[in-house]
Amino acid sequence: MAQRSSGPKYLVPVVLGKALRTLGRLRGGGSAFPGWAVLRLAPDFLQDATAQFAHGIVFVLGSNGKSTTTHMLSEVLRAHGVSVFTNPSGANLPQGIASSLLAEVNLFGRVNADIAVLEVDEAYALELAAILRPTTVLALNTQVDQLYRFYETERVADMMLDTLAVAQTHIVSNRDDPYLSKIDTRFAEKAAVDRPDISYFGVSEQVIAASAHGLVNAHDYRDEAVQTAPRFALAEVTATSKTGATVLVDGELVEVVLPSKGLHYAIDAAAAMAAARVILAERFDTSAAARAFAAMKPAYGRGELLQFGAEQVEFVMFKNAASLQLNLDAITDVPEQVMLAIDEGTPDISWIYDVDFSAIDHVDVITGAKAWQIALCLAHQGIPIGRVEPDLKIAIEFMRGLEKPSTGLKTWIVNYEQMMLARKLIGFGEMENQR
Amino acid sequence: MTVVTVVQLYPGELGVAGDRGNVLALVARLRAAGFTPTVHEHRRDGLLPETADVVIVGGGPLSAMRNIYGDLMANAATLRVWAASGVPFFAYGSGCELLGTSVTLPDGNVLDGVGIFPLTAVRVPERTVGYVVVESTTGRVVGFEDNASRWTLGADALPLGSVSAGHGNGNGFEGVLAGRSIGTQIGGPVLPLNPALADRLVVGVAERLGIELTPREAAASNTTLTDDYAQRAREVIVGKATHVFSRI
Repeated sequence: MAQRSSGPKYLVPVVLGKALRTLGRLRGGGSAFPGWAVLRLAPDFLQDATAQFAHGIVFVLGSNGKSTTTHMLSEVLRAHGVSVFTNPSGANLPQGIASSLLAEVNLFGRVNADIAVLEVDEAYALELAAILRPTTVLALNTQVDQLYRFYETERVADMMLDTLAVAQTHIVSNRDDPYLSKIDTRFAEKAAVDRPDISYFGVSEQVIAASAHGLVNAHDYRDEAVQTAPRFALAEVTATSKTGATVLVDGELVEVVLPSKGLHYAIDAAAAMAAARVILAERFDTSAAARAFAAMKPAYGRGELLQFGAEQVEFVMFKNAASLQLNLDAITDVPEQVMLAIDEGTPDISWIYDVDFSAIDHVDVITGAKAWQIALCLAHQGIPIGRVEPDLKIAIEFMRGLEKPSTGLKTWIVNYEQMMLARKLIGFGEMENQR
Repeated sequence: MTVVTVVQLYPGELGVAGDRGNVLALVARLRAAGFTPTVHEHRRDGLLPETADVVIVGGGPLSAMRNIYGDLMANAATLRVWAASGVPFFAYGSGCELLGTSVTLPDGNVLDGVGIFPLTAVRVPERTVGYVVVESTTGRVVGFEDNASRWTLGADALPLGSVSAGHGNGNGFEGVLAGRSIGTQIGGPVLPLNPALADRLVVGVAERLGIELTPREAAASNTTLTDDYAQRAREVIVGKATHVFSRI
């Protein structure tokens, strides 16, 4: 590929974009608007600014775990001395990615990094791939997610499979995902030299069998009859513990400390290490990877512990039935105090009835605009409810008033919007570039 | 205590959006009315029970509809016999479409239905998403709609009700009735949110069995908590639905 020269054509858009970004931050909070403005002024900006990474561009896709895995992969690469550009958690649409690039580019539209690791929204992934030509595409899972937006799960699966298929060099996919594992069938007719290499990550049968609800990946009703040969996992979760997991990476056992509890975090770690292994090839070092995990902070709201007076709040964030179920399954000690908060950021909450709440024995307060709907579901499941209070502010004060639990820990199970609001209400601001 | 059999069709394939909630609510209302319900989950290649007292089916993606289609057609005659004998069906979304006359898919292919509901469904490119409020003969029914389907009813068929907020079938009405059976595109799921609608099915079950439900039996139940939560949830939904509606 010819080296593109960025040149002074980006001077005006970049200066303007950076100015908009500064203004936006002074006003408080990040915004995708500067990115949108720059893309309008210089449509090639994204393509040119990202065509220069020595190790190329990695796309991270998936129904759940994009932010966590992007974070993990970035940190593992950094532990190998690779400089990484990445987009902040959730800024995964084209204008959001352009906005985060603006923070890093010089006036000629150049970024000083060896590799870009980008979490990308499934619906924009193929379109973005045409512009950015990712060298590596990592797809995590297909889980029933935001049906009001994606309509049907197999449509999301196809978005991810189509994007995997256009990876320039490496495909990294989930061996245990009924849809994503079938990426190899797309290349069945092609000689190995004519296609990107395909690697998998996965979970051992014993670990899956020990999980209360398995992996919660979507069932593939379309191609369930397709029989394939067993697939080898370059990185496989072979055991999980309260604080971490054991992952077998290319024949070597790696003990990793996880930022939060749950099999899904262990799988994200295996995915990140499989990707790091194919990107770094022989340079991949299991001890560097383990060091990266040991030093990692939890991503925003994913098992994060925040100070709350003399106590601590553990945030458990969910987006859909799969992430909520996997988080509930990760609970080993029944939490003493629980707040559950869901608002209209989750428009259709029907799926709450598909979640098994038996991991918790009660909820102290249910809050958020959808509080009564959630209470109705929990009452039907026989879970005792202390109080229903749609106003988050009042609910938080109610939680504050409860006697200090023996663990000193209060568990708040929240959707993204309520997590952001709750953080603010207890004195923690936004952290735009938290990676 | 009369034992009644609730048959749920294809809980895996046609149960992707909280349809389990409809089963939970129906079972709770049957119990509250003095019945002892047992749930028979019918899966592909399984056997339907000899008899059924109420049949329930939910929604699922096109691939799931195609997947169970053969099994459904193999059991269509039994289901029609049940319906003709007055067994109430409760059907949501694509499950209801498959129990209707036909479904026209996005690629133009037509799937013939079982023929229990006088309903023709056509899948359309535009999707309808949001809270929905419907006025029915059993009162106000609220929930969440999320579909890309337009429903046309047979000449003499009655809808569930008229739409006061949201989209419904696309012509001011929502759902379809057939005897004691109810078909709808109101999710949420709809039965927990609308205990009166679940009770309508319970009354249907009792009528067919010749059992007279006394009001005392219906009241002497432990559904006060869910009734209260449902009522509060309904108020919030109505507030939001009309709010959004008035802005359009």
